[in-house]
Amino acid sequence: MARTDDAPLPTPPPSDVVESIADAMFALSSTSRVNILMLLRERPCTVGELTDATGMEQSAVSHQLRVLREHRIVSVERIGRRRRYALHDEDVAVLLDAALHHVSGGRAVRRADVG
Amino acid sequence: MAVVEAVFTPPAGRRAVLDRAHVGDVEGAFGTLSEAAVPPARGMRARLAALAAVLGPGVVIMAADNDAAGLGLLARAGEEHGTRLLWLLVALAPVVFVTQELVLRLGAVTGAGHARLIIERFGRRWGMFALGDLLALNALTLVADFVAIAFALGYFGVSHLLAAPIGAVLLLGLMATGSFRGWERMMFVLLAATVAVVPLLLLVHAEGRHAEVAAHAPASSTLVLVLALVGTTVAPWQLFVRQSNVVDKRITPRWLGYARVDTAIGTVAALLVAAGVLVACAWAFGATPHAFSDAGDVAPALRADLSPAAGAIFAVLLIDAALLGAAAVALSSSYSVGDALGFRHSLHRGPREARTFHAVYAGFIALGAAAVLVPHVPLGALVTGSQALAAILLPSATVLLLLLGNDAEIIGPWVNPAWLNALGTVVVSAMLGLSTAVVAHAVVPDVEVAVGAVTFAVLLVGGLAAVVVEHVRRPRSAMTRAERLSWTMPPLDRIAPPRRSRVRRLVLVGLRAQIVLAACALLARAVGAL
Repeated sequence: MARTDDAPLPTPPPSDVVESIADAMFALSSTSRVNILMLLRERPCTVGELTDATGMEQSAVSHQLRVLREHRIVSVERIGRRRRYALHDEDVAVLLDAALHHVSGGRAVRRADVG
Repeated sequence: MAVVEAVFTPPAGRRAVLDRAHVGDVEGAFGTLSEAAVPPARGMRARLAALAAVLGPGVVIMAADNDAAGLGLLARAGEEHGTRLLWLLVALAPVVFVTQELVLRLGAVTGAGHARLIIERFGRRWGMFALGDLLALNALTLVADFVAIAFALGYFGVSHLLAAPIGAVLLLGLMATGSFRGWERMMFVLLAATVAVVPLLLLVHAEGRHAEVAAHAPASSTLVLVLALVGTTVAPWQLFVRQSNVVDKRITPRWLGYARVDTAIGTVAALLVAAGVLVACAWAFGATPHAFSDAGDVAPALRADLSPAAGAIFAVLLIDAALLGAAAVALSSSYSVGDALGFRHSLHRGPREARTFHAVYAGFIALGAAAVLVPHVPLGALVTGSQALAAILLPSATVLLLLLGNDAEIIGPWVNPAWLNALGTVVVSAMLGLSTAVVAHAVVPDVEVAVGAVTFAVLLVGGLAAVVVEHVRRPRSAMTRAERLSWTMPPLDRIAPPRRSRVRRLVLVGLRAQIVLAACALLARAVGAL
């Protein structure tokens, strides 16, 4: 928890760090991207699987995956001719867990606690 | 400890953008406006300060309108027709203002670039067609700009082996700061240099040349020259780069009034520079005919006919025009690629933060520079090729633009009023009439004027009827001024697909037919030329 006493505040992080955090949060700021990420939180998926599961058009899914890749939220691995998308790292999973936990008023179970 | 819930006011509070750098303070060359600032209610000083901060996209992009190819055409128009084609420039000014105001409004209200909106509202096929044609056209334009830089530096004795890297370094330098303000300031420096047209006019006038302006027999069809002038004045890349630049500058509907003033100033300034070049060449070459094939011939002709100073001023003007044009054209490519494909695309970001954006820009610059190093680049063929591509792209670009301006889902209370749609219909019909006339000229000469006139008349009547139907049906907006000023487009994945209507279908089918026909006619012409 944040401290509530009157201790002097440290200087804010350098501006490029602040910008990067804002960029990462921007990547999470669209409903279609959140939908995709919630599926990827379960397991890595191909574009086809994501298209079927979200009901979005394939081009729209690919577009959002490109945005997520550029922001290093999602990474891709090639298996033969297929491409499988996964959360970039465990930090992203923690971020999504925390978000879910936050909006559900603390009721949602953190995946980390289960696994 | 009490937690205070924030009052959230969608959609003003959550503007949908495609790059996070597109929200925040306006950081203009001449001032800053906080993200939360509102237009000053009173006080001339406060208003001028706000205008200074907003000033930029309109003035800068429209100055780039008079690029190297434009300057060459203006010189030719002056040399061949004296001052008789000045009316055309004056007639084109409202056309430029109307199209630019529309892309400005689209950018400010939707927060999305032009390529993205075409993809979202007309489908991927139209989007990729517009993007592909734009990129091909941009590559040709960029090569033409670089060739002009080489010609103009060659006038001062600089080898073209050196001219290409000089141009490339200057153009890359514009972007290197990774700051929107830095880029805009440098563009203003290039813009300021166009004032050199004034001493050029004074020099020509001092020689007493203005007395004997005689028009020479035109070297080619006047119709083709007119269409070429229209094509460089209303170029497709301007629509794309302006809309994205407005978004990147973080202009929101709140600042539309100021941004319209920016557009008006830009229109008048670009018109004055264009008219200055045309009049200077009309005066200077009134007595002796030259057959200019491009802008590179003008400076040596001025030196021979008038004075070395006049030639030097034109060469400087040409370098400046080519740099402005190349910067804007390359930027339109990288904005549109980022916007269409989902990569970060902002001048607020340096090369490390937006790799694709900067790589596309650098790639286009490198292509232009490399083309100069190739011996015997057929500049004439390049310019013809780019005009042909523009003739295919421009009609569909302007029609799609007009449809977007009436798309209530994306532009909300800022849809085109009836008078603007009527004016837009006149402009689009005239442009399509001109371009069919040119196509007809290529296939069956002698009937081109009739074909153009019939096309114009049919489209005008049909278009105006569609405008009347649209506006009779359209419900009146009940929004207050404050609501209008804070309205922005909802996120793209949440808006309803475009309303299906017979007019819309008819227009899109017609556009496809026009593209196929124009492409066939140009192909036939190219085969005939071989």
